[in-house]
Amino acid sequence: MTSMGPAEIFDLGYQGYDGERTSRWARRRAIWRDGVRVSLGLGRGTSAKIAPWLLIALALVPMAVLVVIAAFVGSTPSNPDDFELPSYAEYYEFAIVPLSLFAAVVAPLLLCPDRRDGVLAMYAARPITATDFVAARWTAFLTVATVVACLPEAVLFTWNLLDASSTGSWLGDNWDVVPRFLVAGLTVAVAFTTLALFTASFTTRRAYAAIATLAVLFIGSAIGGIAEHDFTGSVADVLSLAALPNVAIDTVHWIFGDDLTQRPVAGAVSALWLAGLTAVLAVWLWRRTGRLVRG
Amino acid sequence: MPLVRARGVTKTYGSVRALDDVSFEIDEGITGLLGSNGAGKTTSLKLFMGLIDPDAGSVEVLGVDTRSSPEYRARIGYAPEHDCLPRAVSAAEFLAYMAEVSGLPRTSARLRASDVLRHVGLFEERYRPMGTYSTGMKQRVKLAQALVHDPVLAFLDEPTAGLDPMGRRDMLELIRRVGREFGISVVVSTHLMGDVERACDAVVVLDAGRLLRSGAVSGLTEETESVLVDLVEGADALAEALRRRGVATRLEGNRVTLERVSGDDYDTLRDAIVETDALLYRLAPERHTLADVFSPATATPVPEEETA
Repeated sequence: MTSMGPAEIFDLGYQGYDGERTSRWARRRAIWRDGVRVSLGLGRGTSAKIAPWLLIALALVPMAVLVVIAAFVGSTPSNPDDFELPSYAEYYEFAIVPLSLFAAVVAPLLLCPDRRDGVLAMYAARPITATDFVAARWTAFLTVATVVACLPEAVLFTWNLLDASSTGSWLGDNWDVVPRFLVAGLTVAVAFTTLALFTASFTTRRAYAAIATLAVLFIGSAIGGIAEHDFTGSVADVLSLAALPNVAIDTVHWIFGDDLTQRPVAGAVSALWLAGLTAVLAVWLWRRTGRLVRG
Repeated sequence: MPLVRARGVTKTYGSVRALDDVSFEIDEGITGLLGSNGAGKTTSLKLFMGLIDPDAGSVEVLGVDTRSSPEYRARIGYAPEHDCLPRAVSAAEFLAYMAEVSGLPRTSARLRASDVLRHVGLFEERYRPMGTYSTGMKQRVKLAQALVHDPVLAFLDEPTAGLDPMGRRDMLELIRRVGREFGISVVVSTHLMGDVERACDAVVVLDAGRLLRSGAVSGLTEETESVLVDLVEGADALAEALRRRGVATRLEGNRVTLERVSGDDYDTLRDAIVETDALLYRLAPERHTLADVFSPATATPVPEEETA
C-alpha cells in the first residue's frame, strides 16, 4: 500500500486560455439568451419572476379556462345552447391588455438596468457592434413576446383539433390556422417589442419606461375611441389610427381574413400603418441605442 | 510589433481639440497613460477600443486598424472608470456572461470566470450580488471582467479610483501581477503619478491633447547628480559644515541635498557627518520624478501625497 504524505494545495498560478473562440453569431446568441432569461426572471430572485410570469398567466389562463369550460359544456357553434369559444382573432381583443402590460413592464428590463448600472460600456468593449447588441436584445424580447402571444392560440388550436370528430379532415380544412396565428402573434410582438424598447431607450428608470409605453398605448386608444364616436369621415379614420392596440387587433383580424367593414379603416391600412410605425421606431431605437452603447 | 500604435492622431469635439496630432507606441508590459483631466486619456482609450474614429491619423491595436471589424476586441480587455456592474447579478454569472460575449464557449466561460475571480481574491464572494460589494471589491471585479477572456492587452481606466491607500496598494500590486505573472500587457490610464511610478514599466504622458513625453518610467526617473541625506537630527549643522567645505547644499527640514556631487564629495560628506555628530537616517542618490516631466505652466497630474 502506498503511504500518502500530508495534503497539499498547489497553486497552479494563472492559466491562459488556448481553447476555441466562438463566432460572432455565438456571441450574439449569448446576448439573446441572456435577454430571454432576464425577460423571464430566470436565474434571478423570486421578485424578478413575479411580473413576467403573472402577465404571462394573465394572457394564457383565460384561454385555458375557456377551453376547460368548453370541454365540460360543449362548444358546437351550430348549437345555441353550447358555450362559444372566441375565434383566434377575437381572443386578441382580450389578450391585447396583458400583452401591452407585458411589453411595457418587462421589455425595459433589457435596457434600463444596463444603462443605469453603466453595463453598456462593457458591451462596447467586446468583439461585437452596437447593432449586434440592440438586435440581440430586441430579438430576445421578441422571442418571449411571440411565445406569449401565440401560446393561448396554440391552446385553442389544440382544443379545436382534439374536439374535432375527424382530426384528419379538420386539419385539412384548417391547415392555414397555424401560420395565421403565428404571423399574427409575431406581428403584435414585433410592434409591442419595438415600442417598449424604444421608450425604454430614453430612460434609465424601468418604471418611467413602463408608464411611457402604457401612455402611448392607452392615450392613443382614448384618442381613437373619441374619434370613432365624435368624428366622422377621414378625420375619424386618421385619428382612429392613434389607437395602437385597436390597430394591432384590426391587423390580427385582417391576417385571419375576418370582415372589417365595420371598422374605421381597412385591415390592410391598419397593417401598413402598424408596419410603417414599427419600422420608424425600430430605426430610431437602433440609432439611439447604438449611440448609447458607444458612449 | 507594438501593441498600440497611434500615428498623427487628431480628435476634436466641436471646438475642443481632445487630441492634437499625437503619435506614440505602446509595447508589451505595463504602461501608464498619464495626464490630468482633459488631457485626452479617455479619448485615447475610446480610440483604442474603436468606439470613435480619429479625425486625422490612425490607431492600430494588435496590428489592426481600429476602424476595421470589432474582432480584435476579442483579444483586448477594458475596465472603465465609472460603475459598470449590474447590482442584482453575482460576479461569477456576470463574468461568465462577459466571457461568452467575448468569444469563449459557455463551459469554458464559467471555468474562466471562477478562475479569474480566484486570482483577484473574490473566489469566496463570487456568488454574492455585486450590489453588496465594497468599492475595492467592485474594482477587482472590473479588473477580472477585463481579464476573463484571457486578452493580450487590457486597458484599465483609473483602476485605483475611490480606493483607500491600502486598497490602492493592493490594486497596484494586482496590476503588476497581471503584467508580470499573467503575461497580459496592461495600459493604466491615470492622473496619479504615484500609480505610474509604482506599477508601470513605461509611460505616455498627455497634456491638453498633446503628447508630453513617452518612454520607460526608469528613463524618466533616472538618477540625478544630487545626493539626498535624510537626518533624524543635526541637519542645520551638517548643511553648514558642508558649505564651509565648499559643497553646494540645499536644506529642507531634516533633509540636506548635495548638488552636483563628484567622487570626493562623498568623503567630504562622511567627514562632515562625523564632525557634527549628525544622526543619519538615509543617504541615497536623488531621482527625477514624473512630476519633473510637467512644466509648472501646465496642468499637473496629482502627486501621490495629495490623494493618499
